[in-house]
Amino acid sequence: MSAIIKAGAIDGDRFDRSRRIKWIDMEKIESARCFVAGAGALGNEVIKNLVLSGVRSITLVDMDFIVRSNLNRCVLFREEDTLKKTMKADVIAKRAKELNPGIDITPVNSRIEEIDSSCLKNHDVVFGCLDNIGARMHLNAYAYFYGVPYIDGGTDGTTGKIQVVLPPDTPCLQCTTNKTHARILEKRFSCTGQDISIYEPKIPAEITTTSIIAAIQVREGLKILSGKKEYCIRHVCYYNGFLNTFDSFEVSLDPMCPVHLSKFSKSVHPYSHS
Amino acid sequence: MPLRVKVRNAESGATVEMELEGENTIDDIIEGAAGYWEKDAGAYVLRRGKRLLRGQQTVAEAGILNNDELELIPDPEGG
Ligand SMILES: [Zn+2]
Repeated sequence: MSAIIKAGAIDGDRFDRSRRIKWIDMEKIESARCFVAGAGALGNEVIKNLVLSGVRSITLVDMDFIVRSNLNRCVLFREEDTLKKTMKADVIAKRAKELNPGIDITPVNSRIEEIDSSCLKNHDVVFGCLDNIGARMHLNAYAYFYGVPYIDGGTDGTTGKIQVVLPPDTPCLQCTTNKTHARILEKRFSCTGQDISIYEPKIPAEITTTSIIAAIQVREGLKILSGKKEYCIRHVCYYNGFLNTFDSFEVSLDPMCPVHLSKFSKSVHPYSHS
Repeated sequence: MPLRVKVRNAESGATVEMELEGENTIDDIIEGAAGYWEKDAGAYVLRRGKRLLRGQQTVAEAGILNNDELELIPDPEGG
């Protein structure tokens, strides 16, 4: 018996135009579970892109409420959200459902360091949309520990960065750190490990850099979900928005990286601030 | 014999010559260049060709040669 097609069905399918891109595996994307850490500028863009790309299941973690200075770069926030000190993750979850009512998005109002990190293993890709190195290192360590691909984004004015970590094949974020990263961490944490909140620079940010970096983060995520890891950035990509240049660099695995050492001894805590 | 390398500032395009001993580390180069250009107290990485160099590696371990050109790149922290 020949197949029966229905006139007009093409335009009735939300993801018809996505399905026309040959390397995209919509079935895998629609059944994927994504974890997004950070509901600021990058988090807004990453969630928007994930939902419009067909991802249906998302966990979103953020500890902050919305302020008016967020509104120059956060597509899902509104003026009214700034008046009620609404939590960022709650608002994004609500607005993302307006983009696609069929999604299942779970907002978690917490610091990334305070969630039960074992929940990462229930996800297919982790997106880092964070605003500080300490939180990034924490998320990187646990994603690696549980073997979940981690795509980190960072911005500063018109510069940006995307790093793709594919455990156990690639180096991790910790492998790329040096004394300048350590110095920032030292400023942020006292010797007892308590967050002393003295060093909290206001980093310049605007939507064009944010949207470019978040778009590439999600693009890399779609490659991973579609089984095309070999086409991912190897390993870190820097964007200079003033000159409009992208440069990808390889990173070598640090034999003393505590993240990889912990991989071989699961009793070792994969990350500590000490 | 000390090596002489050129370090480029990715943000401004400016360059500075730096003299290195084999036991100097990548951290030393990053700190020296960031200090010379009076950079903000942010994070920076150093590249040689298509590779990012690890902070604790020595000049010798990183395979840095006389007259090499290295680049100091800001590592953005914002989100
Ligand atoms: Zn590592």
